[in-house]
Order: sequence, then C-alpha cells, then structure tokens
Amino acid sequence: MQYKSIRKEEWDKALEELSESHTIFANVSNDFGQDYELMRPADIIRIIYNKPKPATSLKSFFLPVKENVTSDRKGGKPRIIIGVPNCDIEGICLLDEIYLDKDFNDIFYRKRREETLLISSDCFGIQEHCHCLSYGFKPYSTSNADLAIIHLNELIIFRIITEKGSDFINKIPSATPLDDKEILSAIEKEHLATESLLSTANKGLPDYKTTGKIVAEAKNETWNKYSSHCVSCGACATICPTCTCFLLIDKPGFEKVKQLDACQYPGFERVAGGEDALFELQNRFRNRYMCKYVWKPEKFKSLACTGCGRCIEACIGKINKNELFMEFA
Amino acid sequence: MANNQNIYKPIKAKLTDVIEESPLIKTFVLIPEEEFSFKTGQFIELSVDGIGEAPFTPSSSPHVTDKLEVTIMKTGYVTEYMHNLKPGGYMGIRGPYGRGYPVETFFGKEVLILGGGCGLAPIRSLLYALEHVKDKLKKVILCYGSKTPSDCIYKPLFARLNQIEKFEAYRTVDKADEEWDGSVGVATTLLNTIKVDIKNSVAVVCGPPIMMKFGTIRIIEMGYTDDQIYLSMEKNMSCGLGKCGHCMMGEFFVCKDGPVFTYKELKNTPDIWK
Repeated sequence: MQYKSIRKEEWDKALEELSESHTIFANVSNDFGQDYELMRPADIIRIIYNKPKPATSLKSFFLPVKENVTSDRKGGKPRIIIGVPNCDIEGICLLDEIYLDKDFNDIFYRKRREETLLISSDCFGIQEHCHCLSYGFKPYSTSNADLAIIHLNELIIFRIITEKGSDFINKIPSATPLDDKEILSAIEKEHLATESLLSTANKGLPDYKTTGKIVAEAKNETWNKYSSHCVSCGACATICPTCTCFLLIDKPGFEKVKQLDACQYPGFERVAGGEDALFELQNRFRNRYMCKYVWKPEKFKSLACTGCGRCIEACIGKINKNELFMEFA
Repeated sequence: MANNQNIYKPIKAKLTDVIEESPLIKTFVLIPEEEFSFKTGQFIELSVDGIGEAPFTPSSSPHVTDKLEVTIMKTGYVTEYMHNLKPGGYMGIRGPYGRGYPVETFFGKEVLILGGGCGLAPIRSLLYALEHVKDKLKKVILCYGSKTPSDCIYKPLFARLNQIEKFEAYRTVDKADEEWDGSVGVATTLLNTIKVDIKNSVAVVCGPPIMMKFGTIRIIEMGYTDDQIYLSMEKNMSCGLGKCGHCMMGEFFVCKDGPVFTYKELKNTPDIWK
C-alpha cells in the first residue's frame, strides 16, 4: 500500500482551510469519553488519533434517526469524517449492500455516501469490549475507507486506500510520499501490539461462524436467562453500526418520514390482524442474535457484527453477548 | 428501477369506486396517475394521506392496466381510515413489490387453490391470470371458506368461475344460515370431495395464518410434495424494499423474497404461521 505523510501542524492547517469548503467531523475527547464532533477551525487541535473508539457508530452520518424521504434533499458541502475505527468501516459495507442494492437504491443514503470522504484511524490499543479480531477484522483499515490515518511522533501518515482518498491527499501539496522503512515498521509494531491485546482480551471467544452455530442451536432456557435483564430499550440496536431497521411514518401530502426502529421494541413485527412473531421478550432478544449471526450471513457478504462491542457498553441491563457465546463455545 | 427514482415516494391514484363485499370488507377501485402494472401475487403499499400505509395484494387482473382493485378488510388503524374513504379522493401507491405467483410454471398442470377469508383477494387476481392462460392449464379448482355467508366475498365470482371451461369453484362456511347453498365446515373439508391429479398439480394456499397452517398440513397429507405448495405469506411489510426489517422471516425478507414462497423454501423457518 502507498503511504504519504505530512507534519502534524501542516495537517492541522490544511484542515483549517478545508473546513471552509467542507463539513468536517472528527473524533475528539469530551466529558463523556470520545465521540465525533463538528469541527470549527478552533477545534481541529482537539482531534484524537489512533485511540478507539467514538461512542457513536458511523451509520449515524448516513442514516439519520429521522428524515423526510419524500421531499428533495438539498446537497450540502462535501463531508470529511476523520477517526473512523475499522469496525465501523466494515459495518458500513453491510449498509452499502442494503441501501445501494441495485433494485432499490436509496438516493438519500447514496448521496451522503458520495459526498463523504472516510478517513479511518488505525487503532493503537483497545477498549474493554473491542473484539473485531475475533470476527476476522483487523484493528486498522486496508479497504473500504478512503484513507487511513496514523499519528506518529510529529507526523500524520496516510495509508492510501481508494482513488477518492488519493485524489484528496494529492491536493495537499505538503503531503509527500513516505517509504521510510523505520516508520512503517513502527506502525506494524503498533498493529501487532494491538492485535495481541485483542487476542488476550478475547481468549476463548468463538469466531463468527461458530457464533452462528451457537446462536442457532441455543435453547429457550439460554434466551430466557440472558433476556431476563433486557428491558427492550433498543440501545443495542441503536448504537450498533449495522442495525438499520426503520419505520416509515406518513405525513400529509403523501410525505414519508423514515425513522430508525429496532426489533427489540414490542410490536416490531405485529400485523394488523394481531399476530406478532416477536411478542415475547425472549423471542425479540433471540431475533437480534439470529439476525446478526445466522440470517444476515445467509443473505449478505458483509458481516452483521464487526466486534465493536458498543452493544455491551450501551446495555443498561448489563447483558454481555460475549458471555453467552463463551458459555457455549 | 431507475437509479435516481425515489423508492419511498408513492404515486397518487384516484379512488373511483368503493364496493362493499361484506360487513368488514370493501373493494377499492383505483386509477393510478402514472403508468402502473403488476404481476399476480405481487403486492403494493397503499396509503391514506397523512395517516399510514399498509401492504395489499391487488385483487384485480394483472392484464387490466388502466385501473386497479384492492380488496381490504377493516382490521386496524389504517384500514379503518381506508373504509371511510369515498370515491373522488386520492390514495398513494408504492410498488409493485415482491415475487408473485409463477404462473408459467403452472402450465400443463392442475391448479388447486385453497383460500380463506380475505385471502380470496389475491386469489381472485390469480384466478383472472389463470383464466387468461386457461388453454395452457389442465384444470383450476378453487376451495374457499369463510366464517359465515355474509363474510363470503365476491359472491358472483363463484357462479362465473363454474361456467368457465376447466374451472371448478367450491365454497364453504363455518356457520351457515337458512339461505346458504354451499357446504358447511372449515375450508379444508372441501379438499375431501375434489378430484385432483396430485402428481401433475400444484397447490396454492392463501388466507389467515391459522387456515394456512392447517391447509398446508392437509395438502401435505393429500400427497403434495413441499415444492408443489405455494404459500402467500402475510407479514408486517412496511417498506416493501427489503430494508426496514419488519417482515423478516428467518433469512427471508417476505416483501422482497416473497410474498409467494414454496413450502419447501419455508419449512425450516421458525414461526412462519405467527
């Protein structure tokens, strides 16, 4: 892969200039941890690199919680999103399969994808529930993002992934090709160290395929036990980078508002006649696991769980899906 | 579908007539403002302005393209509003969506159709489509059940069908009244009296979930194989596009992969009758 580098202060200056013509979101520290924020020139210095991971998943930039999908959308400034961990980059692949489907292409999603440049951030270190590696994903991007970014000493280094990423970086004259073997080997060392941390933290966690088998074979008692603390709040689905179920709400003038929904909410599958396959809590709970690890893999190439661990962090019932999988591994 | 088409935007259709079929069921005759056609068994998302949208399979012939008929039972919030609509107003249509009946694969065969309640709506469309190709079919047998004679929709349809060469139509009610001239008993009881060449036949089942379940069991008992049975599934098909997730049944999006499935495709999927 090709790399380019730029001095950190020059990158910050470039971003300051770009913020006039682009909408820039980046991962920053805040009072609650870290998350994406809209960057004004004064905020650029706050951007954090290589530290997993923003509280919000990337899907929020492409699938707003609520949007009118019948009125024409005004095009905005092109967007740059900086600091996307690879778990989220991989998550967007499933969204692309669903929303850029050749038969039914969602023009709202597509326009947002087209006008956005994705700059992934290599993860150096892990958070408590990170488990991307267990599902075959590296903690750094080599595909699907446009660029990957690494902050090493005083340098900002870019791994060039797509043509769009290459065009972007070529327009910044102070970014120059990098082939310094010492720097590249330092990056590789960080990758290996992170992978080692992930392996240790997730020792015994089954891989994706085995997880699918565990989920498909799990008995009612398992679902009853693990769903007993579930309050159907839907936080797991809301925070998940790949959960994208929605509801269409009718407004006067035959307008429609698309609002994110979740299979964890009661009534999700209820039909007018009253039948509801997901009436019972444990069935709704099981449904999400079946969807992620058994059904979606039958239908799509991209995986429906990328191991970000946000559902574990968000659960107010302190349900840890990985404990379930480990119990039966 | 063109790449720049907005998949969420309905086309408007003028409501030209409302026909009362039974105390709870009405047929809505619609003239779409834009070109519109469908294949039998496919469904549309029909909306009441500002109120809501629900999936229905048209009950009219797929070969009639200037108007569209949709037969709707008053069941919930949206259908109650629909039942209050008067001719002259407008409704919204998205679609058609999904996989309908594979009529061409029925050629050279006998087609047994088991229907119940409002399930006769999509079946009527299928019957029109089969009538259109009757020269290529061996026989069409309709067995239809409703709760009471007043719930039996499309009453003139049965006399008409029995006059068409190769067509036989039977009806039954759970509970008869003095004027009823058909059979009494649940829909599956009609299957005991018909003559059908099972090996060279397909069976189509459409109706309320409980009837679909016991109808399918009975048809399997008769000797039909799983791939000879076609089921029209009913789920909460909200977007119709295979995206919103509400109609997922196992790995299938009923709206996109169905709503017509063979029993073979679904037999290992849990909760299909719920």
